[in-house]
Amino acid sequence: MKRIDLPLDKVVEEIGKFYRYDEHHFIVINAVDLGDAIEVQWFFSNYVAPGEVTMFAAKADASQLIPSITRVVPSAWVAEAELVDLMGINIENAKKGFVLEEDFEGAPLRKK
Amino acid sequence: MATYYDIPVGAQHISLLEPLHFKLTTENEKIVDVEANVGYVHRGIEKACTTKFKFRQVSFVIGRICGLCSISHTTAYSQVAEKLLNLEIPLRAKYLRILVLELDRIHSHMLCLSHVAENSGFEALFMRTMKDREISMELLEAVCGNRVQYDYSIVGGVARDLRPEVAQMILTRLKELRPKIDDLIDIFQNNWSLSLKNKGIGAISFEDAMRLNAVGPLARAAGVPVDVRNDTEDLLPWKQVGFEMVLENGGDVHARNMVRLRELLVSMKIIENVIQGLPEGPIVAETKALPEGEAVVRLEAPRGELFHYAKGNKTQYLERLKVKAPTFSNIPAFVEMFKGNEYASAPAIIASYDPCLSCTAR
Repeated sequence: MKRIDLPLDKVVEEIGKFYRYDEHHFIVINAVDLGDAIEVQWFFSNYVAPGEVTMFAAKADASQLIPSITRVVPSAWVAEAELVDLMGINIENAKKGFVLEEDFEGAPLRKK
Repeated sequence: MATYYDIPVGAQHISLLEPLHFKLTTENEKIVDVEANVGYVHRGIEKACTTKFKFRQVSFVIGRICGLCSISHTTAYSQVAEKLLNLEIPLRAKYLRILVLELDRIHSHMLCLSHVAENSGFEALFMRTMKDREISMELLEAVCGNRVQYDYSIVGGVARDLRPEVAQMILTRLKELRPKIDDLIDIFQNNWSLSLKNKGIGAISFEDAMRLNAVGPLARAAGVPVDVRNDTEDLLPWKQVGFEMVLENGGDVHARNMVRLRELLVSMKIIENVIQGLPEGPIVAETKALPEGEAVVRLEAPRGELFHYAKGNKTQYLERLKVKAPTFSNIPAFVEMFKGNEYASAPAIIASYDPCLSCTAR
């Protein structure tokens, strides 16, 4: 797995430069609670180089607004909606209530 | 001026086997917009796998994500844990994992095909396909001890060896299954009434399937050459055992049926090759190491690409485990597939999507 660490404000720009839908397959977005920050991870595989997985990673405060990549990867809306519910982070234009009930309080995958 | 109606389908509906909800917006009978809601069965399995269970126990918990493709989850998890442990498993265990993965694919594809027949109004074909599927269920029970929830892959290898009489039984029963599959291919290919419900219905173009990152039979039915078995020779020897990718071009319900039917033949060939070329040796590799670092694994489950991410911290408990199911990836493409179709076609389209919500919501 190839890991690319980025500042949060460069994520959309760098994924936009990297991603070609006829070359890369968007897998999913993941997040890891590091305690003092959340690490958000965007995963892609490659149709041209089978087996290759690229992960873009950026750290954010739990209350920070995470930029949406849907303007460059339209199908990413499901992964963003899932993280909003399960990790309790804010992602641009993503609503609560896709994986959990809209009025569910808390974030199941956060440590505290 | 057009009149629009919002028609709810699910979370409980006669054409849905899974707890998901669609709001279909129709202009008269034509579907023009779709909203999907999958949030009914979240069980907190990822959280439990990092807080309640030690990493070796997780392969048994993770199998409970889904009854239909539990071998996919346990195998993907075992592989990702083995990467964290830097553990190479015996070749015999790799072959046996392939054996059960392909038996599982046969039963899962046949389940989907039977429901497409049922949702297309062909009840007799539903019953016949389910009856033929029983052979794969019996073989899974013979190999693993269970019809579902096999608990077959474990960290380091597999839980049971294959006895020679079971290997022979598999070969005999697959010979029995082959003409039944040929008959099903003929019916799904040529039956006139089924063609009215399946051909040209719920189609997605190659371009849209690529753009929306579709996976599995849904993508391959639109001609997208995406099958993780083609990409992961380092984890399981797919090409050694005769894997070939199946592609169709129509992108409709019929093309998805044909991909699944032709994949049954590929799976049967792989199983025969596994049994005939099964290497001797142990079935488990032992280690006392603890998981460290982060790793990912992709695996072709019956519905498409399954993805596991794990992060270890050199303790018995994982720091994070993430599971991405194929149904989850296909939601954007699925929403597009409905548009422009008649409301009456929705049940067949849903069944051909082969959704698994217990995997998706976890």
